[in-house]
Amino acid sequence: MVQKQDLLERLRAAVVAGDETKVTEIVQEVIRDNVDPLEALEKSLIPGIREVGEKFERMEVFLTSMMLSADAMKAGMSLLLPRIPKDKIPRRGTVVAGTVKGDIHEIGKNVLAALLTANGFDVHDLGCDVQASAFVRKAEEVNADIIAASALMTTTLPGQKDILDYLNSVGKREKYVVIVGGGPTTAEWAEDIGADGYAETAVDGVKLAVRRLEEKSKTSVP
Amino acid sequence: MRSSLSVTKRALTGPICSERDFDRKVFAPKLTEALKQCEIKFDPAVLIPSEDSMADDLFRAAMGFYADVGTYCLDTERIIKFDQDEIKEGLRNAPSQARFGEELDAGVLRPRQPESKEPPWCFIGAGGAPVSSEEIFLSLVQGYGEISLADAITTPELTMVDGFPIRVKTPLEIFGSIRNAVLARDALRRVGRPGLPIMNALATAASDTALIAAMHPNYGLRPSDGYFVATMAELKTNYQLMNKSCVLTSQGARIGTLAGCVMGGYCGGPEGTALTVAAHHAHGILVNQATYHLNHPAHMKYISNSSPEMLWLISTYAQAISRNTHLLSLNLNYTSAGPATDMALYEIAAQVITAVVSGVSIEAVGLARAVYVDHLTPIEPKFAAEVAHAAAGLKRTNANEIVKTLVKKYVDKIPNPPPGQRYQDCFDARTGKPSRESLEIYTGVKKELENLGLAFKY
Repeated sequence: MVQKQDLLERLRAAVVAGDETKVTEIVQEVIRDNVDPLEALEKSLIPGIREVGEKFERMEVFLTSMMLSADAMKAGMSLLLPRIPKDKIPRRGTVVAGTVKGDIHEIGKNVLAALLTANGFDVHDLGCDVQASAFVRKAEEVNADIIAASALMTTTLPGQKDILDYLNSVGKREKYVVIVGGGPTTAEWAEDIGADGYAETAVDGVKLAVRRLEEKSKTSVP
Repeated sequence: MRSSLSVTKRALTGPICSERDFDRKVFAPKLTEALKQCEIKFDPAVLIPSEDSMADDLFRAAMGFYADVGTYCLDTERIIKFDQDEIKEGLRNAPSQARFGEELDAGVLRPRQPESKEPPWCFIGAGGAPVSSEEIFLSLVQGYGEISLADAITTPELTMVDGFPIRVKTPLEIFGSIRNAVLARDALRRVGRPGLPIMNALATAASDTALIAAMHPNYGLRPSDGYFVATMAELKTNYQLMNKSCVLTSQGARIGTLAGCVMGGYCGGPEGTALTVAAHHAHGILVNQATYHLNHPAHMKYISNSSPEMLWLISTYAQAISRNTHLLSLNLNYTSAGPATDMALYEIAAQVITAVVSGVSIEAVGLARAVYVDHLTPIEPKFAAEVAHAAAGLKRTNANEIVKTLVKKYVDKIPNPPPGQRYQDCFDARTGKPSRESLEIYTGVKKELENLGLAFKY
């Protein structure tokens, strides 16, 4: 019992430290010692990344630490998830994130992706300079709940509208929650283009994603 | 200076590295190592430090850091590297002064020192903020041209061409950039300052193609203007940016390197960000072939750079560069609050005093983070220039007390700042005159600053 507690605590600490190698080693121990993989996920990986996310929000740790911890958690998850029955995997939602066509700014989107991961979302990061159709193709492929589109320049903002236009044109607008963000984005702009919300910061982006998914689950037909 | 050709060769032959590894395995650990060497620490009680040794330690660590890390080229997935000797040679050979503009409106940008009485170069205008129409663009740039302390101007960013939103890397961007050039020069001619340099040519041209298109002499830009080549956060470039440097140097135009390091991002906290901004100066010389260096560090949450830790890091990098090089360095301030608010003026005063007494010149100002369309006026940059001239020659210890008093007036409002008013709501766009309310805010805050000990010359 003590050994299991120690193992789970070491796993949590390794996620907090952003040590991918150590997380992989400890998860292999977890598997070897027949510790319940769901317990390792719920008591180590998720609390570990949440702790880092909270520190990041308070600016006690910064982006690199956050991304290293997210990588470490993903490495652990990739070993644990195949051992957990699908209906028991805690799943908050799936997000396809990217910076729109013509825009090569990534930091804000990277922060959002890392924070969403820390908050239990399955994030598919498409990088930058992403075509509207590529957002939708990926969302279809991974059965996403949310499309999150970032734009950092006034002249790339229309790329966010392109995603909504594309979704409308292929008749899939209602299938996805579309949220937008980035320097020149405003609430008025989000409303003008018919997005489901706008977030000024990555922290607000996570809150918005959670809120919109809760609203969607309440309104969806069982 | 290095040639574009030699930089391109390094981008094609330097060490191969994925972007992910550059961020995590090169930049981050080397930054931690460099910070250990200089042991600087943000102190909220001292926003403008006075210890010269701290600035010098930071400078040495920053140059060592750049030698270790280099600049990442996103297109070739290689690192452009320079050794310590090449960095020293670059610093030695970088321009120590530069003439901008023409005829009666020409001026010389010179390096400064902490506490220097040398008047700062006042690069006045929009900080790249967006405007909704060509009429407002013209009226604003005329307003900037009429500011007597303006050594150079920066234009706003057009967002529309004939009512159609401009999109990057499209013909619309080329049309918009050409109009940006034509309108800016026309606005300066209208106010009798045709030779005043436009040092952010061009706000609307994000792509290399648009810049090249708008540089045709027919449109009014000249080699004596200044042209920005940006750096991607952090210490990254790509072919688009390298193309710009190549074209600009081939035409004898002066390049300004633009670095917007993000505090809270890959740079970490204020200490890492100060070090990274200082390191970007080496990148500016060696990769971008820059004559001048414009830094606009941004807070990860607030985007602006008026919070205490941002002021501290501005002072720290500025002292490191101005004490140890003859580089032509300027700080661009972004406020949280918008036009026609006293908060924006308090922020501007704190930012400008910090930069000027720490030894750099200024660009002012991106209001309300330059996010909202038409949220800019000429009164805030005019105020910034007046504060800048008043701050030249102040002792760092005295400036620190003034800045701390100013910060107390606005720091609690930074998370939810007032957006202020649009130009057309607080100015008469036809006559270019401010509203009575705007004028009262301006005169009221100037009086408060006088009471704090700032002696205005203008």
